[in-house]
Amino acid sequence: MSNVRQISVFVDNKPNQLAGVMKMIKECRINVRALSLADTSDFGIVRMIVNDTDKTVEKLKATSYAVTVTEVVAISIPDSPGQLSRVLDILGGKNVNLEYLYTFLGKSDRSVSFVIRVDDIANASEALTDGGIIQLTENDIAEM
Amino acid sequence: MEKYWNKEIECMSREDMKKLQDGRLVAQVKHVYENVKYYRDLMDKKGVKPEDIKGTEDLHKLPFLSKADLREAYPYGLLAKPLGDCVRIHSTSGTTGKRVVAFYTQNDVDMWEDCCARAITAAGGNEDDVVQVAYGYGLFTGGMGLHGGSHKAGCLTLPMSSGNTERQIQFMQDLGSTILCCTPSYAAYIGETIAEMGIKPEDLKLKAGIFGAEPWTEEMRRSIEKSLGIKAYDIYGLTESSGPGVAFECSEQTGMHINEDNFIPEIIDPDTGEVLPEGTVGELVFTSITKEAFPLLRYRTRDLCVLSRKKCSCGRTLIKMAKPMGRSDDMMIIRGVNVFPSQIETVLIEQGYSPNYLIEVDRVNNTDTLDISVEMNPEQFSDKVKDMQKQERDLAVAIKTMLGINPKVHLVSPKSITRSEGKAVRVIDRRKLHD
Repeated sequence: MSNVRQISVFVDNKPNQLAGVMKMIKECRINVRALSLADTSDFGIVRMIVNDTDKTVEKLKATSYAVTVTEVVAISIPDSPGQLSRVLDILGGKNVNLEYLYTFLGKSDRSVSFVIRVDDIANASEALTDGGIIQLTENDIAEM
Repeated sequence: MEKYWNKEIECMSREDMKKLQDGRLVAQVKHVYENVKYYRDLMDKKGVKPEDIKGTEDLHKLPFLSKADLREAYPYGLLAKPLGDCVRIHSTSGTTGKRVVAFYTQNDVDMWEDCCARAITAAGGNEDDVVQVAYGYGLFTGGMGLHGGSHKAGCLTLPMSSGNTERQIQFMQDLGSTILCCTPSYAAYIGETIAEMGIKPEDLKLKAGIFGAEPWTEEMRRSIEKSLGIKAYDIYGLTESSGPGVAFECSEQTGMHINEDNFIPEIIDPDTGEVLPEGTVGELVFTSITKEAFPLLRYRTRDLCVLSRKKCSCGRTLIKMAKPMGRSDDMMIIRGVNVFPSQIETVLIEQGYSPNYLIEVDRVNNTDTLDISVEMNPEQFSDKVKDMQKQERDLAVAIKTMLGINPKVHLVSPKSITRSEGKAVRVIDRRKLHD
């Protein structure tokens, strides 16, 4: 199984909240590989993939942040038209429900990487493997 | 086996207690009429003479005294002894208006500390106990009251005062405190901090807590008991009537025994002033029959509760008052509905949230709005926005079921609502700004 762990952090919807999380990550010399921020009128959820999940979670929890770790799929696909559509068709074909997705920060000339949060990760992962989609492991991400 | 500080009084027969109260009341009425012009004027205005009061059955003839009277008479208007006979002053916080100051003779201090010693004994305290007093010391009555009671009961007394939570916990560990006295909100905070520091309740020697000075719910009691591994006892009192110790809880935990040898309780209809029968909810009124310097006759506490003479398993015969449902001035009227913060607190704890919350009431386009900020439960944190929004909605529905009006619930970060070391501020009513 090549699933990747995503860290989610609860933040209040007011100034300096994301800054607080990022400052802590900076102090720990942790590198963020993918980041997305979901917002509501009351609060936000910072989701991220980092190069050292355990250390980040430990540090955030010690500072009283509400943190949760979820398994997600990370894929790398060629940077050309129709590639994401192909991935979504594979998932849709297996009736996998997609909760949200966002891109990795790293950039290469030929490929683009996505974080995909689905309701049925085992099913999704198998379907992607069968469909010939490259899935990234935590090791791959740490080396990015 | 239940232990008593003063068994003769605490287990006295009803007839003997009435006799004791009758004698003390008659003397007290005479004392205030002769020595306090303010009372004399009130009684004359109502056409009551000291001779008309022959026993507790005549209590209803006396005029009421309210907080407004205390403010009007500030500072010396209700003093019934020469200042030379007084040894102490305490004061209310004055957050709801002008301060109220209360005076004590040495006898008054002794009586008060005796009441607190009864509370400590009922909570299982004796000379083998270490009592950590984490109520504020100073003008506030909490610290000095329990401190004096603890001395009297022969306990080793740790006069910590409130605040500096890590030091509180350090001392609790190093000196083996067995009984903690503070406000319930501070007890909850200490419990939370202990968990955060990785200390287990069983690592502490604490066995009991005596918590009062602000309204708290049964749910909050259970949550404090769990977090500190103790039995939590309620205690009641007002600065106006000496301080904590007017009433205290026994092992049955079903209400507080009122120290009737010093305070006669009545329950009245807050609107008409009519005395209500036992078992009816109404405003609690106290008459202090032993206080010398600052005796209050028929003082309206604004606390809403109910009295009961049902036999108590602890053997005490002192009448019991239920935990006050809230002070009538804590009650908010929102969209025509009576709302107590304690009702909201009950729902929060039932639903697994922390008892730290902030209620904000405002008026927008002539409609009252109720916003409740609640610290999200980290155990239930989900990376999906829809899950978190569902938690807000579910909580709003549970509160709506309790109150009958729709609140707006806002989840906020854990620990983001200011913790209180004394009395917690839970309500901000902005409607007053518009009036």
